[in-house]
Amino acid sequence: MNFAPPDNIQPATFISPAPVTPQTYRFEFTGSGSEYFKIWIVNLLLTVLTLGIYSAWAKVRRMHYFYRNTHLDGANFEYHGMPIAILKGRLIAALLFIGYSVAGNVNPLLGIAFFILLAIVMPWLIVRSLRFQLHNSSYRGLRFAFDGDDRGAYRVFLLNPIFAAMTLYLMAPYAHQQIKQYQHRSSRFGATYFSFTAGAGSFYAIYLKLLGMLLALSILIGVAIYEQSPLMFGLPLLFVFIMVYPAVKLPNLIWNSTGIGRHRFYSTQEILPYLWISVTNLLAIVCTLGLFVPFATIRMMRYKLEHMALHAQSELSEFVAGQTQNTSALGEEMSTMFDVDIAL
Amino acid sequence: MLSARYYDGKTATAHEVTILLDGAHLLLHSANGNVRWPLTDVDISERLGNTPRRLSYADQGHCEITDQAALDELLRHSGIHHDWLEHLHHSLIWASVAAILIVITLLAAYRYLLPWGAEVIAMRAPATVLNKMGNSTLDTLDHVMLQASKLSAARQQELVAAYSRLKTPDAAPTNYRIVFRSSPRMGANAFALPDGSIVLLDELVAATQNTNEIMAVLAHEGGHIERRHALRMVLQSSVVGLLVAWYAGDISTLLSSIPAVLLQARYSRDMENEADLYAVRTLQLNGLSPCLLSSMLSKLEAAHVPAKTEPPTTEDTNHKSPLDYLSSHPATLERAVLICPRH
Repeated sequence: MNFAPPDNIQPATFISPAPVTPQTYRFEFTGSGSEYFKIWIVNLLLTVLTLGIYSAWAKVRRMHYFYRNTHLDGANFEYHGMPIAILKGRLIAALLFIGYSVAGNVNPLLGIAFFILLAIVMPWLIVRSLRFQLHNSSYRGLRFAFDGDDRGAYRVFLLNPIFAAMTLYLMAPYAHQQIKQYQHRSSRFGATYFSFTAGAGSFYAIYLKLLGMLLALSILIGVAIYEQSPLMFGLPLLFVFIMVYPAVKLPNLIWNSTGIGRHRFYSTQEILPYLWISVTNLLAIVCTLGLFVPFATIRMMRYKLEHMALHAQSELSEFVAGQTQNTSALGEEMSTMFDVDIAL
Repeated sequence: MLSARYYDGKTATAHEVTILLDGAHLLLHSANGNVRWPLTDVDISERLGNTPRRLSYADQGHCEITDQAALDELLRHSGIHHDWLEHLHHSLIWASVAAILIVITLLAAYRYLLPWGAEVIAMRAPATVLNKMGNSTLDTLDHVMLQASKLSAARQQELVAAYSRLKTPDAAPTNYRIVFRSSPRMGANAFALPDGSIVLLDELVAATQNTNEIMAVLAHEGGHIERRHALRMVLQSSVVGLLVAWYAGDISTLLSSIPAVLLQARYSRDMENEADLYAVRTLQLNGLSPCLLSSMLSKLEAAHVPAKTEPPTTEDTNHKSPLDYLSSHPATLERAVLICPRH
């Protein structure tokens, strides 16, 4: 039988609905813990049985599940990453990671050489990683994309962090702001670019408050130890509370300063609910020897996504497609292997 | 009747369409007209939980479908089936089976695959690695729990000489260095370092009058060295540590834990048995009785557990305490019987 398309096939000419007034669209997340548990455990089994090979397919399945359960204005997100591309990236990353570990143990000088080499390659890889991630994400049939250049990447991912270290991290909040600015301003959805308006000052405000709280707590602990007070055992627990502060305030700042075209994002995470979810997740994971992990992931994801919104000036349907590009998964797998946090 | 939202891939505009099965084609029907997609070339996304499904055809855009039941109905009529993996991801029974299989696989890998892999690698490790491990371990131990030996130089030389006279199986080298130390904390003990040194504590030398019994212990430790047990333990616990760290999501803790692993490393039961076997062969080769090792083991146990000195009954020998499985050293008595059946 021949399934060649019949002659009458024509591109559909559908008419879009009329434009409307500004509106706020909340992100919705419909993933469920029990549903994800089944996917997670089968993924884990196949990964173990195949000595890790399946992990690339597992990742694609996981990404599909999370993307398709994320909705905005009635449409869901879609992941397009290919397992084979991810597997290749993982294999090379694993080899480099092993090489790095072994080199340091055999000869410290070789280890340092390897480290410098990695530092030089890392910004290049991060750019590839962001390209892969964004290119393989779509919404309403339009792809995201990352157009950041290598020059900018070397500045924000290599030079700035070196300067930050040299100034005893006085420049670290600035370096962080520059990374986010580079990242968001080079990202686009279809042909529409994201914008980023937060200055270094607002990053400094958060980091200084964090530093102040850490200093205050250190002094309290010091006094408690000096006084031989039993509080010296309880006070260190407060570190957990303090570390939640940047985990909530930074994403809020970053997303509240991010827009796309004429539309703006909002993030309204709060400290106490976030803390509650983190602590209960941790306890449940420990008590169930890890079986709660998929439920915990879903809970946290739901909290984060459902506290995000897009304030749109017009219908979301007016976005149009942009240019596409070739990407590889190498960068993404490399940067996750070496624990570079480039969370968007 | 299947309703869906169609996107053309060029704009973000959603179009409400209904999809019908038309022979070997899908008919996308909207208020503005019809489009036909050949069914065999349509990419249908797998079912994943209750997430929207996606139908796409070349670069002609895609449809998002939330009505799972209607799509399943349509696919059933078209003769397209779920693939088995899809089924696997949605069945609670399979999820439970998977959970059990994971545990069994991990246990089997831990019990068989891991020791085998560690042995293969350890037996090929270059001497420099072993020397480095040995030196750093001895340095740490000297710092933490070992003291200088109070044994007379004459007695030390006597033991070294006796040991160097021992013939070893498989023509293995006998130039293992004996390191004399004392440690009230560790008590009567001897242990092998990866580079071939054997640390012999004064407390062990004092536990017996019979030099041959000390030779039996040294032969046992020689077995640990010959079979590269220290390196194998480090490799095994590193892999376990790596997996645990990956699961718990923190690699950095791993790097700092390697020295601790070395210090805490106790040999597995299999390794102890292997070293015992090696010692028995060494003793027999030198015309000595294997029972020297078992009698020494009993003395060592007596030195460590002074309260438990009454002779064991046969009932005790047949009884395996549950603790047996937990402790890495096989119960001394069990070993003694294996080494010297008339014990």
